[in-house]
Formats: sequence, structure tokens, C-alpha cells
Amino acid sequence: MSLSRRLVAWARGKSPWIFLFNSGACNACDIEILAAITPRFDVERLGILAKGSPRHADILIVTGPVTRKQAARLRRVYDQMPEPKYVIATGACGANGGVFQGLYHVLGGADQVVPVDIYIAGCPPRPDEIIDGIAKCVALIKADARRDGRVTRRSGPAPPQEAVG
Amino acid sequence: MAEIVVPIGPQHPALKEPVNFRVIADGETIVRLELDISYNHRGIEKAAETRDFVHAVPLLERICGICSHSHTTAFVQGIEEAMRVRVPPRARYIRTAVAELERLHSHLLWLGVAAHEIGFNTLFMWTWRDREVVQDLLEAISGNRVNYGVNEVGGVRVDVPERVVARAMKDLSFLGRRIERYGTLVREEPTTLVRFRGVGRLTPDAALALGTVGPTARASGVPYDVRKDDPYAAYDDIPFRVVTQTAGDVFARTLVRIGEMAESVGIVRRSLLDLPGGPLKVTSPRVAPRAEILSRYEAPRGELVHFIRTNNTDKVERLDVRTPTLANWTSVVSSLRGHPLADLPVVVAAIDPCLSCTSRIAIARPDGTGTTSMTWDELRDHGKRYYRATEGL
Amino acid sequence: MTRSAAWTADRVSAAMQGLGTGESVAANRVRVSVPAARVLEALARTRDRLRCDHLIQIATVDTGTTFELHYHLTGAHRGIVSIRVELPRDAPRIRSAHGILPPAALYERQIHDLFGIEFEGHPDLRRLILNEDWPESEYPLRKDWVMDPGKSYGGAAKEVG
Repeated sequence: MSLSRRLVAWARGKSPWIFLFNSGACNACDIEILAAITPRFDVERLGILAKGSPRHADILIVTGPVTRKQAARLRRVYDQMPEPKYVIATGACGANGGVFQGLYHVLGGADQVVPVDIYIAGCPPRPDEIIDGIAKCVALIKADARRDGRVTRRSGPAPPQEAVG
Repeated sequence: MAEIVVPIGPQHPALKEPVNFRVIADGETIVRLELDISYNHRGIEKAAETRDFVHAVPLLERICGICSHSHTTAFVQGIEEAMRVRVPPRARYIRTAVAELERLHSHLLWLGVAAHEIGFNTLFMWTWRDREVVQDLLEAISGNRVNYGVNEVGGVRVDVPERVVARAMKDLSFLGRRIERYGTLVREEPTTLVRFRGVGRLTPDAALALGTVGPTARASGVPYDVRKDDPYAAYDDIPFRVVTQTAGDVFARTLVRIGEMAESVGIVRRSLLDLPGGPLKVTSPRVAPRAEILSRYEAPRGELVHFIRTNNTDKVERLDVRTPTLANWTSVVSSLRGHPLADLPVVVAAIDPCLSCTSRIAIARPDGTGTTSMTWDELRDHGKRYYRATEGL
Repeated sequence: MTRSAAWTADRVSAAMQGLGTGESVAANRVRVSVPAARVLEALARTRDRLRCDHLIQIATVDTGTTFELHYHLTGAHRGIVSIRVELPRDAPRIRSAHGILPPAALYERQIHDLFGIEFEGHPDLRRLILNEDWPESEYPLRKDWVMDPGKSYGGAAKEVG
């Protein structure tokens, strides 16, 4: 690998910047993610920073089952992120809508709208499990960066469909 | 000056709740506020009609991940009333202990978020570190830090054995000392004094007239508290004070929440030390007879209501939930009038919104040319700059 | 559980003379059914004669044949008055209570969104709780509502691409 590629791989792996998006969550996941930056769990020591804009983010962390209100906004936020970009779907809601699966105002899972790289299980997942999920995503980023920066693991979004009816 | 409407969006890192506002501002001064709270509407009330009581509980627990016990307790209490089921005293005491631990974690969370809104990040870190003690205690009791799953119709699913009570006493002493420290700190710290005092003032008459509930109302001297007005669980047996203030500003709301935390420590202590013996639950019928129940609960944010109609089946015919945050939005809209834009994040945060509100505010020019937009971060920074310039903070 | 001084159905009936009779439905709650056309009068009496200064909730029920609205109020006396009205399903409309009880404005707006009940005189019955692409005249909390597979309810694939 060339020196410049190795530098890029190192930089990307060292300090992933994340953008948090609440797609209609109950807030349990959001609070546990926030807890991850507080002293007990302290994810900032790993170089992970939460950013206020998707344009500077490497990783999009989505909470919530994706309500009909938030779907288009989620897609827009994803589209604003520069490549290479990664998506983590948090909790049961992020995977398939969780307890809200099938409700009339819910699409059911982040992969209804954006391609997802990592799913973190739980309702909500604990802060340590969230950090573990982020760490796995960082490993993906590093692996892809070593391979010319092309994202290889993603298979594309599931064909979007109405959650009900 | 021409009216402008201020858009702030999309999300911001700390206040993880989506609320959509349109702020109409005359220069820096807020003239009007319009609301759109659809971001986390999921369709839960409809879903409750097709789930039996056992399955409804985990669904309702997740209406809100911060006050999950509030919703399940309000619900099971309503169903128990419909079934004319008497919950054993040990269960009522455990429900009370968990309820007050929930209030503690929620108020600590709030204090940290409010501190973050004014750039006081040290206080955010301290409160959230202390909050972990509450989470650990909830996990020791229920097995989970969040969504504790303590309730079922007829009683509780978990016990609090002697060793957990002993551990709790140590934790409560620690928390009591920390809460006292926070009380002193907010009264002395220039940042909180300048950014909270006089801000978002709600008179007692306005608080009542606008249907305000919880610490927001009590900070304006309205002494309503469902734990006293319509006692449930073990609140009839355990002495505690309803905390009120009179100034009705964000500072008063801060003092109310800190005072309530101190009271909560006492209630948890009493409920665990006085834990009655006996069973954790009674067997309840599968079906609830025809009934109409108004179940009220004092959640951390205020009065929570579950209006329930049962119809001789194992499901509700109707569940109508009115959350405290919905009750308090009217007062936010009212109390922000005439305030500088810089105060918006603080006043919104001061009602402790828990509706998974989306922080997005729209700015548009009335003459139709172009749109300026601010992220919530930018508005918060705007607030800090404003107060640096005007108050030398 | 302790209750404050007797909150009797008789006391409420006296205040509601000519509008309806109080019925004790819980130790601290009296319900009065009044004609929909006189709801504002009933609410004003509840506020003034029965000293109820806090609107707890406007609960809504679809009974299948009618819509019911329950206005629950309380005050420092800790008693609860529930004013109940019934609306015909084919023409569910009633005067807005926001003039008497300001918090009603937000509650009525949400009820309109979910049930399609018209609140006459309401300053702003725009969408509050359903997304902006939710089709008109689809009221999800009505008992007979089912999702129409031919319609888009917002947030679907074609909107997000």
C-alpha cells in the first residue's frame, strides 16, 4: 500500500466522527449513546466525536424505528455524508422496528431507508455494547481503507417497502 | 424590523429529541412559536387495542425510554382498578422505589442537559457520572439499566432482597450528598444564575391557565402533584414534601428538580427500609370487566394520564395517553414570547421535553427572499455569544 | 387511599343543573353527560362553580356508533369532574373549548388529526401528530380505519429514493 493510502487508513481508523440521527425513537437508545460519552464509558478517549453536521461525519448512528415523518430526513442526512460513509442501526428498532413493528406511522428499521453496515442489538443496548458496535464499525473502516477505501461489505438497502398494508 | 422565521435543524448531539418549531422573530426577539410534534408518533394507542394486557406492557414501556416505569405503572394500575384487583403492599412499595429512582435518573439527566445547553459541560459530566449510580441500582433491582420491566398486572416481577437494600442505602447516601452539592452550585455559579434567572418566566396564573404540570408548574407556585392529589402505589404511607418555588423562571425549575431529587432519595430510602413482607403479586384474571378508568401518575415531567376503557376482553377498548410534555408545550409557546432567540434552547429544555421532540426550527424571511438556517448547535453557540456580549459571561 | 372531602355526585349535579346529572365513577371522580351543544357552558360551570382550574385531558373514544369526548378537570380540592359528550359518527363536530380552557387548543388539534372531529372556532387545526404526507380524511384512531394499499401514507420508498 502506498504511503498516502496508509496515512488515510490510519487517520480514518483513528478518529471516526459520528452523526446521531433519531428517526422517531423512544429515547432509550439516544440516552445510552449519550451515556457513552460521559465519564463512566468515555468514548471520546477513543477519538470518537459526535458532530453537529452530517457533512463532517464518517459514521451515521440511527436510533428509532424510522417513523414516516423522519424517513425522508434520514435519507437526506445520509445523502449529505461524504464517502466513505457507514451506518450503524441501533437497537431492536433499528433492526426491524422493534416493538413498534407494523404500527401505522412506522416503516420498521433503518435499512428500509439507508444501507446499514452494523446492527447493535438491545432494547436499548448498553453503552458498552454501543461502543463495541462503533469499534466494529471502525474495524470495517480500517479494513476498507486498506483496500483502496472502497466500501466492500455493504450489500445495498433491502428493497424499500411499506411496513404495513 | 421585519418578522423573520428562524429554522434550526436538523439534529443536535446533546438534546436527543426531535421537536419541530417555527420561530417568528422580530430581529432577536421571539414574537411567536409554532409547533409540529409528529417526529416520533408511532401509533402506539392503536396498537394497544390489539395486544392483550401482558403484551401491551412492554409496548407501553417504550413510549418513552426515560420514564418507562411511569407508563407501565399508570397502565397496570388502571387495569388493576378495572379488574378490582388489590396489589400486595410489597409490590406497591417496590413500584414506589423504582418510580423515585426513575425520577432521580431523569432529573439528573435533565440537569446535565440543561447545563450542556448553556455550555456548562463540567456539570453535564458530573451529573451524568452520578446518574450512573442510579442506573446501576436500577440494574441491581430489575436486571436492566433502562426499561426495567418491573410491572405486570397484579404486581411486580422482581423482588428487592436484603443485600440490594443494603447496597441501596450506601448509594442513596452518596446521591444525597451530590444533590446537595448541586443545589449549592447552581445558586453560586454565574453561568446558571445569568442564563436561568428571569428566563422563561411563567406566572402562577399563566401556569394554571395554560394547563402546565410537573416541576414546570410547581416552579410557578402551583402545588399540584399527583402523588399527593390522587395517591397511588405507596405514596399514602410515605411522608414527603411537594417542592415548589415562586419565581416561575428556569432557575426556579432547576431548584424544584434539585429539591425533588432530595425528596426522592428520602422516599426510596423509606420505601426500601419499610418494605412489607408478603407476595410480589396476585393472580389477576385474563379479562378485564367493562370499566372506564382515569389513571394518573406523577412522572418526572409531570402529570401523566392513561384513560382506559375495558370491555370484558383481554385487551383495552381504548387507551388514551396524555403525556406531561404535551401538557407543557402550551406554556413554552407562551413563555418564549418577547424573549431573545438566545433563550430558546434553555426555555425548551426547561420543561424537560420528553416526547422525542425534534429540534428543528425554521427561519424564513417574510419578503420571501431566501432562507437562513441554523443548526441547534449554532443556536446554542449564538446564545453563548449573546450572553458573553451582554453579560460578560 | 385517602381522598379529600367528599366529592359527591350531588354537588356536581347541583352545579350542572339543567345540563346533566352527576354520576360517581370513582371515589374522587364524578362524570356528567351533557349535550354536545352545551359543552362550553358545562366547562365554564365546572371551572367557576366547581372551582376546577386544571384541564387534565380531553379523552376521546370511538364506540363504533358515536364518538365520545371526556373533558377531565380538577382543582385544589382534588376532586375530578369528567364532562362527557357524544357526537354522531357521521357529523362529529363541536365548539372548540380553547376560549375557556387554553390548553384545549393543542389537545383538540391532536384529536382532529387522529379522529377527524371538527372543533368549530379553533384557531389552527393544522396537522400536529401525523406526518405532512399523511392523506386527508384518513383518521387512524377510528375503529373502522384500515390502511388503504392504494395510498401512500408518507415516508415510503418512492419519497426517499
